[in-house]
Amino acid sequence: MKYLVIIQADNSPELLERLLRVCRHRGFLVQKMNAETTENEKSLHVTLTVCSERPVSLLSKQLEKIFGITQVAALGQEKAIKASA
Amino acid sequence: MNGAHFIVQALKQKNISQVFGYPGGAIMPLYDALYDGGLDHLLCRHEQGAAMAAIGYARATGKVGVCIATSGPGATNLITGLADALLDSIPIVAITGQVSSNLIGTDAFQEVDVLGLSLACTKHSFMVQSPEQLGPIIEQAFMIARSGRPGPVLIDIPKDIQLAEMPELSSLQVLATKNKLRFPINASLIRQVRETIKLASKPLLYVGGGVGMANATQELRNFIQYTYIPSVCTLKGIGVIAHDSEYFMGMVGMHGSKAANFAIQECDLLIAVGARFDDRVTGKLDEFASNAKVIHLDIDAAEIDKLRLADLAITDNLKEVLPAIEVETFISAWQKRILTMKKEFANRYDHPGEAIYAPAMLRQLAEMKPADTVICSDVGQHQMWVAQHMFVDRPENHISSSGLGTMGFGIPAAVGAQVARPDDTVIVVSGDGSFMMNVQELGTIKRKKLPIKILLIDNQRLGMVRQWQKLFFDGRYSETILTDNPDFVTLASAFDIPGETIVIKSQLQGALTRLLESKGAYLLHVSISEEENVWPLVPPGAANDQMMESLQ
Repeated sequence: MKYLVIIQADNSPELLERLLRVCRHRGFLVQKMNAETTENEKSLHVTLTVCSERPVSLLSKQLEKIFGITQVAALGQEKAIKASA
Repeated sequence: MNGAHFIVQALKQKNISQVFGYPGGAIMPLYDALYDGGLDHLLCRHEQGAAMAAIGYARATGKVGVCIATSGPGATNLITGLADALLDSIPIVAITGQVSSNLIGTDAFQEVDVLGLSLACTKHSFMVQSPEQLGPIIEQAFMIARSGRPGPVLIDIPKDIQLAEMPELSSLQVLATKNKLRFPINASLIRQVRETIKLASKPLLYVGGGVGMANATQELRNFIQYTYIPSVCTLKGIGVIAHDSEYFMGMVGMHGSKAANFAIQECDLLIAVGARFDDRVTGKLDEFASNAKVIHLDIDAAEIDKLRLADLAITDNLKEVLPAIEVETFISAWQKRILTMKKEFANRYDHPGEAIYAPAMLRQLAEMKPADTVICSDVGQHQMWVAQHMFVDRPENHISSSGLGTMGFGIPAAVGAQVARPDDTVIVVSGDGSFMMNVQELGTIKRKKLPIKILLIDNQRLGMVRQWQKLFFDGRYSETILTDNPDFVTLASAFDIPGETIVIKSQLQGALTRLLESKGAYLLHVSISEEENVWPLVPPGAANDQMMESLQ
């Protein structure tokens, strides 16, 4: 499955490494990537196209835990199948 | 005041009184500040020992453990400890020296990219880039280590920043962190959980380390007292439920009890509390509790649906969730079934012959130990025997490297636990393989005169690997025979630790008494047969009800 993941983060020198490490380790292959800083280098906006056999929620929930990442949106995400808080 | 003094003051302001570490070039300014800075520092004899002592300290108390190392090899030696803390969600803060800012990236002496190394083995990590960042980063590091699902945080501090002039520390600037909005627990979800529990005829609690870390042991015990739902626990969940609780079946999984593993397969509702469906628990995942609905309660949203889809999940604080889901149950047939299994599959401690039977010895020690004793374990067969046959009053009293399974963990973890709780008895159970992996920490025990009781179970093998070679590799004992071990009692005596060796059952009572009553550290070296295995065992790839119980 192919997914589009959009990430907003407070920028830091190693943020892209953190992001890409989690993608690789959790089993998602990056096919396309765009990253740019905004607001005087203070924040970072990243768009990733990734593919994996695994559901994208496994990735997005891990990305949300990275300190510095403020927002994660994933397209192609499977529908929520249950109520959760 | 320079950066190094600032760090010491900041740690004191965070109520840190004890740190573990090892000095070196790039961390010298900090060690100079520690010299008369008013913090207790314990010199470990390897940075890995310092990290694991910090883990033992944190696990025995629930406080944040702090360890310090120099750049390069000092920092790389910490890595295994950080990974251990990450997999077991233990709050520690590691401070490493780094070469001066102008030298970073030049392959300077003892320079390694510690921030890069830390990415896969910490919850978060920082490199301080200017003196002004020091205060906010320390503040943030402790917040991150403790909050949510706890974990290790690393702060890498270049030498020039340790030496930079700093303003006096008045009070640490509280950092403008975006506080997460706190929502009340979703009431309709709570209602659904209560309804599901009420309707279940065979509910089962599967309790993990998250309960102790959420400080919700009492809430969980109350929940059990109210609902009488039968329960099993994980390796990290040991101590949460009182060991003599009526419907409690002990540990579940690869070396779990028979009753626990059968109950998992039979239940129609599995309530996972602070647990994460680890492969050592589930066996063949598709067949794990395959007839059960799942309610998953865990603070980490990334654990929900990671391995097992949950029918209902709540990621709020267990301290608040557990009281809210107490509900009356009508499950007497199930309770009867559990009691029957507990009786039928109870551990047996009768054992023929004179040779010492480790499970029976550990049971005996558990019964003899004073209240509130901390048991630290190393990794291997003895670790599983401790989990199966010993028992503790609370989760802080069972310290075992669970997620990472780090051999060499026991002795340094016991150092940290004993320093944290000087008035409690600390026992470390080790094996002849694990013991040698951080044997240098006997030097730390000597230095601080720690009265740690060491029980070394010696089968002259890497026993757990040997067991697998016997069972799954045609008895080809590749590199697991340790008949050339050192004389352990002599080795300990070189560190002023007295000890003795025992080989037969009749020596046990006296030797265990001498171990427990020893004023200082003591080594009880116990020789056992290499043929002993850990049973039951769920073989790799099998479902939990397909346990092997003997070599036949």
